[in-house]
Amino acid sequence: MNKIIFLLIIFCTNSFSQEVRSTQSLNLFSPTNIKKFGDYLFCQHDYLRASIEYEKYLQNSFNDTVSFKIGLANLAMGKFENASNKFLSISQNSVFYNLSRLEYLQANFQTGNYDTYRDLYENLNLNSHYKYFFKARELYSFSFLFTDNPLPQKKIFLNTFPEGEQNKIGEFYSWKSDPPYKSPVTAALLSTVVPGLGKIYTHKYSDGIFAFVTVGILGYLAYADFHANHNFRGWLFSALGAGFYGGNIYGSAASAQIFNAEIKFQFFNDLKNFLEEHNYFVPLINFCK
Amino acid sequence: MVNKLSAFLYFLLIILFISLNLFAQIENSKWGKADYSYQMPDRFEHRDYSFNEKNPERFVLKSVLNAYWFFISDVDGNNCSFSPTCSHFFLLSVKKTNIIQGSLMFFDRFTRDMDIFGKVDHYPYAQNGHYYDPPSLYMLKKDSINYIPPSVVVKNE
Repeated sequence: MNKIIFLLIIFCTNSFSQEVRSTQSLNLFSPTNIKKFGDYLFCQHDYLRASIEYEKYLQNSFNDTVSFKIGLANLAMGKFENASNKFLSISQNSVFYNLSRLEYLQANFQTGNYDTYRDLYENLNLNSHYKYFFKARELYSFSFLFTDNPLPQKKIFLNTFPEGEQNKIGEFYSWKSDPPYKSPVTAALLSTVVPGLGKIYTHKYSDGIFAFVTVGILGYLAYADFHANHNFRGWLFSALGAGFYGGNIYGSAASAQIFNAEIKFQFFNDLKNFLEEHNYFVPLINFCK
Repeated sequence: MVNKLSAFLYFLLIILFISLNLFAQIENSKWGKADYSYQMPDRFEHRDYSFNEKNPERFVLKSVLNAYWFFISDVDGNNCSFSPTCSHFFLLSVKKTNIIQGSLMFFDRFTRDMDIFGKVDHYPYAQNGHYYDPPSLYMLKKDSINYIPPSVVVKNE
């Protein structure tokens, strides 16, 4: 019996060692398998771990596709600086050279470095015959709408874009060249003449009405108290009325500034949505077919 | 001899069972149910009653506000619809500007607080559910305006 048990143990140990040997022969950490694993993670949108695996792979091998994919992974994670460095490292002989330059430019655009984008566009010696070059040119024009730099002439500006979209982009151009801002001085002056009118001018209608009613009631109470020889109450309501009157003039100017910040925010939002919806960015290569 | 050995083995087996049981107890406490509280998280604005003001105007203002908070506001409850509250807004405004500009900002805020119709369309929400309206928007400095659209909940107040 003991012999049988002993033999069984030996047999089991032997089969286990066979398993280990077969696993070792697989070599999971070979460069090819690391790349395969990186590809799998990339297609699963696990960009952080994919880029780590790709970096491991690049320690022993050279592959421009892998470098480009690290750039894309960093772009997807919002690590624009890392992405830019990776795109710039791709050599001129690579098939990804032109695309990586455009992605690099685009990374600057998406981080809001519009001035840098324009400088790079002018100095990066981009290949104007490349099939997606027109996208960089379009974004170059769009970059003017995001900054306070002087705009190019409308005709030249719009010629960059396809005819079907020139009307909408023309509206953006008109907004930028003459934004419908409200003047804080006008708002303050209007509230000086009629309390609350400055708020109505900045589209804060109910605020304006409440300011008018408050100043009106306090003014009337001050007048009525002085008229009835209640001087203390008269001065009290006068002081309060003056405070609310002055506060409303001040608040109208502040309200105009907030109104301007609001429409500027909406303009940038509309512009960004337009860019996303109308595919103004370089199309992504599908590496996961 | 054999009996002694088997007795020793039984003893070892018992020790093993007991220690397994002990281990199971530890796991049980590790993965056991947590004490759950249905109490709302405390997001009330805690008053700062300290007097650190060297400026005499601010010292007077802080004294008045401390008295207002102690005798009226804290007793009345957290009823201001804005965050920071109007009194706190007054204090912050004076700290960030001066007594005159701060007072004008306060009077404007008080008028806006009376508006019971337009708040939803104009202000984002603070985490305590009140309308978020910081003094930085009203200092008449373009750079200090950080516009946040209405209905958004502000996380970093």
